[in-house]
Amino acid sequence: MASKEESFRYLVAEHQEMVINTCYRFVFNREEAEDLAQDVFIEVFRSLEQFREEAKLSTWIYRIAVTKSLDHLRRLKRKKRFSSLKRIIGIEDPSAEIAAPCNDNPAEAYAGNEQAAILQEALGTLPESQKTAFLLSKQEGFSNQEIADILKTSVSAVESLVHRAKKNLHDKLFAYYTQQ
Amino acid sequence: MKQEFMMKERNNNIEAQVAKTMKLLDEMKPLEVNHFFRARLMQRIEREFGLEAKQTHAVAGNRFVFRLAFFALLIVINLGATVLSVQQNKRWTTSVSGISEMLDKLSDDYTSHEFAYYDQSSTYTSETVSTEIQTP
Repeated sequence: MASKEESFRYLVAEHQEMVINTCYRFVFNREEAEDLAQDVFIEVFRSLEQFREEAKLSTWIYRIAVTKSLDHLRRLKRKKRFSSLKRIIGIEDPSAEIAAPCNDNPAEAYAGNEQAAILQEALGTLPESQKTAFLLSKQEGFSNQEIADILKTSVSAVESLVHRAKKNLHDKLFAYYTQQ
Repeated sequence: MKQEFMMKERNNNIEAQVAKTMKLLDEMKPLEVNHFFRARLMQRIEREFGLEAKQTHAVAGNRFVFRLAFFALLIVINLGATVLSVQQNKRWTTSVSGISEMLDKLSDDYTSHEFAYYDQSSTYTSETVSTEIQTP
């Protein structure tokens, strides 16, 4: 147990920065990114013995980080939908209002400006594979090959996903600003 | 012409806004890891996995107690069954010996000399009948 903990400490020290920043790209909020990174390392600790060396350990860890981040965004989306449904029905949800500034719109918390919120909203409408490839490509330290390994796909597929994501994002933002 | 120019101008403005918004992602500075991050993580692991280990120990202990109790119950049932069967065997053997004694007595009674008389008489009667038939 002690040696396991020792090697785990080493592993955390080596990958914590990349994991936190990967989560941060998805949620735009420091606290949430750190909480997610903790969940990622808990998962890693729990299933480290089941890790089959089909991929690099780092790829496996970043894959968990991506999955956790996407799950978190899905949960937020559901929560948002549910609270808007409640609002339509006429049920007041006091907990939603308390959590709203931090959880429902982390982009605002991050940048404190409207643009970040708009970007976050537009990213939320992209298909998950496009969003993941695009966000990882924007992060320093991930090559296209590494992104391909994380997404379990080919480099050309990653390039295509990033290209389509850029175009979609551009179109969505353009449409948004046109309506303003 | 002027309208077209204005439209173009507007589109350019929008494009600039779009580019500025998209640039936010490139401008996002990487986070520096909080000093307490690892400490908090290790605390959480200690709390969650230490508790899990304790729970598994408790469950294992409970299982052992249940098994022990079950074995004890089985032993008691077996002992009880053995005692009962031994007692029943005792009773049966005593009753069986009584019956056999009775049978012996009976067979003694019927094979005694007193009963020998009836045997003889029966042979006698059969002989007299045969002589009676023969006389005419």
